[in-house]
Amino acid sequence: MQISTHELKSKIIESLKLQDITPEQIDDDAPLFGTGLGLDSIDALELVVLLEKDYGIVIKDIEEGRPAFRSVRTLADFITAKCPQ
Amino acid sequence: MREPEVVIAGCGAVSAVGCGIEPLRAALRNNVSGLRTIEKFSTPRFQSNIAGAAPRDPDADDPAWLLAAEALQQARTAAGKTLLAIPPGKTGLVLSTTKANIEALERVSTGRPCSEAARRHLRADLLAADLAEAHGVRGPVQAVSTACVSGLVAISQGAKLIRRGEADAVLVVGVDCLTEFVVAGFTALKALDPQGCRPFDRDRCGLSPGEAGAAVVLMRADLFAQPAITVRAFGGSNDANHLTGPSRDGSGLAQAIHAALGAAKLSSGEIDFVHAHGTGTGYNDAMESLALKTVFGGACPPVSGAKGMLGHTLGAAGVIETIGCVLAMLHGFLPGTPGLTHAADGTPTGLVREPRPVARLKNVLKLNTGFGGMNGALILSHV
Amino acid sequence: MSDISITAASTVTGADLPAARLGQRFGRLDQQSQLALLAVAALNINFDEFPRDRTGICLAASAGSLSTDVNYWNGRNGIGGPSPTLFAYTLPSAAVGEVAIHFRLTGPNLCFVGDDQIVLPEAADLIRRGEADACVCIFCEVVTADCGKMISAPAVASAHALFLKKGGGLHGWREFDRDMKALCALISPTKSAG
Repeated sequence: MQISTHELKSKIIESLKLQDITPEQIDDDAPLFGTGLGLDSIDALELVVLLEKDYGIVIKDIEEGRPAFRSVRTLADFITAKCPQ
Repeated sequence: MREPEVVIAGCGAVSAVGCGIEPLRAALRNNVSGLRTIEKFSTPRFQSNIAGAAPRDPDADDPAWLLAAEALQQARTAAGKTLLAIPPGKTGLVLSTTKANIEALERVSTGRPCSEAARRHLRADLLAADLAEAHGVRGPVQAVSTACVSGLVAISQGAKLIRRGEADAVLVVGVDCLTEFVVAGFTALKALDPQGCRPFDRDRCGLSPGEAGAAVVLMRADLFAQPAITVRAFGGSNDANHLTGPSRDGSGLAQAIHAALGAAKLSSGEIDFVHAHGTGTGYNDAMESLALKTVFGGACPPVSGAKGMLGHTLGAAGVIETIGCVLAMLHGFLPGTPGLTHAADGTPTGLVREPRPVARLKNVLKLNTGFGGMNGALILSHV
Repeated sequence: MSDISITAASTVTGADLPAARLGQRFGRLDQQSQLALLAVAALNINFDEFPRDRTGICLAASAGSLSTDVNYWNGRNGIGGPSPTLFAYTLPSAAVGEVAIHFRLTGPNLCFVGDDQIVLPEAADLIRRGEADACVCIFCEVVTADCGKMISAPAVASAHALFLKKGGGLHGWREFDRDMKALCALISPTKSAG
């Protein structure tokens, strides 16, 4: 089942408590870290928790998650591929 | 009127290498590590089960009090008659701690027995007040909490109280305990080394938690007749970069070192030894190496770190690691760096792996950094 | 003629937080850091007037970081474990760090647990000693309902801030001026967050 990027963006906003931003304002392909949304290392760790809590995906090594965390789209694809359904 | 000099008149410690100053000296001189498998609580959920636990009742409900009180008692005994001669109203106390008796939160939340005193000591200011009362202090009392730089800041504050004439002696005590609270937190940050920390090592990948109680008695130099180590100067700064990651170029720590050197009226060339923060995380040790390069250029003095021996003792670190420097200065040796096998690229060329005797350490620089961008540099001098 | 002056004062409470507009990431700070940051913002200081490495921060937190400690600990059994973000804020000095990051202040920091009496004298001493030319002084009182049960204290959420600087100014600081709340009420009686 393909995870919708809109749903994922809503969860990111909620989990990271981002203010004054809507899912529509986050570009699917913009970088999540560094530039783009400008998330940092603590946010990466929170997203790892989100993946486990909401999708049952356990990331053992943060390096494993790195390519998946590049953008909303790559993360949605990663979740779709890994989510135990 | 010139401000008085401040000396260290006595020390006390209880940590992963044992109870007392002599076990600490022996461990430092012989590069012994106190890191062990955690026995106090179950650890499969955590990233590492290795830590530096102190010899104390693992079921105590007020370990912060136990460790702090033990260290204070030792330090006061070591300071002897000169401390007793100082009126209580001119004796102060400064506590350094990040979590105080957080054990009480764990107990209350899981329905385990927890005394009133243990619960009261959740609050660092009340822990400080009670320690002061129990140890003959009627002068100024402060509870410092500046993350992992707390110990150095507390020593600096104690020295200021004496220099300002508010006290003639100050008991400075640092304490933090090994708890699930802390281990779970560092696990969430993925900051622990499953094998035990390896400061400055090319294969390092995280820190090891530790617990300790450590205390020094600071005293006006003219009241302490014996040769002693002076608390010469302290410099602090903030990276203003990120809450848990140090500034990548080490400039904040370099600024703190320069501030300390300036206050001490010393040039970098007059520092004989640097005791590093050296947590064993990728970022910290790289940043610290850069800061040392900035300050010392190619002429960095010998550098070592104790967290592979004691673990990261948080609020106690600045105090117990300063005591390590004092012991090195008094007994004429350079401590090694337990946990270090192969130094990483970019680390100081003067990294000391194994302890060795040294002719004389006149000026020693002690460094600590902490969450929130805190940086601290303390300079100790042999009179 | 005083050698140290207070040039600004502010008081903020939890009620001021929903209207706070201090960036997209404000929501991730714990309540104590939010209040501290908001109080400093409300001082309306132009920090460009001073070298950033000569401006210090001195903070006292009446209950340490206990409210955040309780929040973090209560989440420990959640799937995926406790929040790494919350753990990073289980330090009273996290508020100091956030103020430093937001306003790019790289000078010396002090952070105490206890009442406000210690803040101004220690900040003034940093200035007199030449370690700083100015100091942001903050007193936070944050006790959530859960925390209050733990330490038998009433719930509260407020922060008071004062800006201390070297030299003369509107309000000369005197050695016995230690009550930050009273000084804030005196200097800035109706000031609240913008």
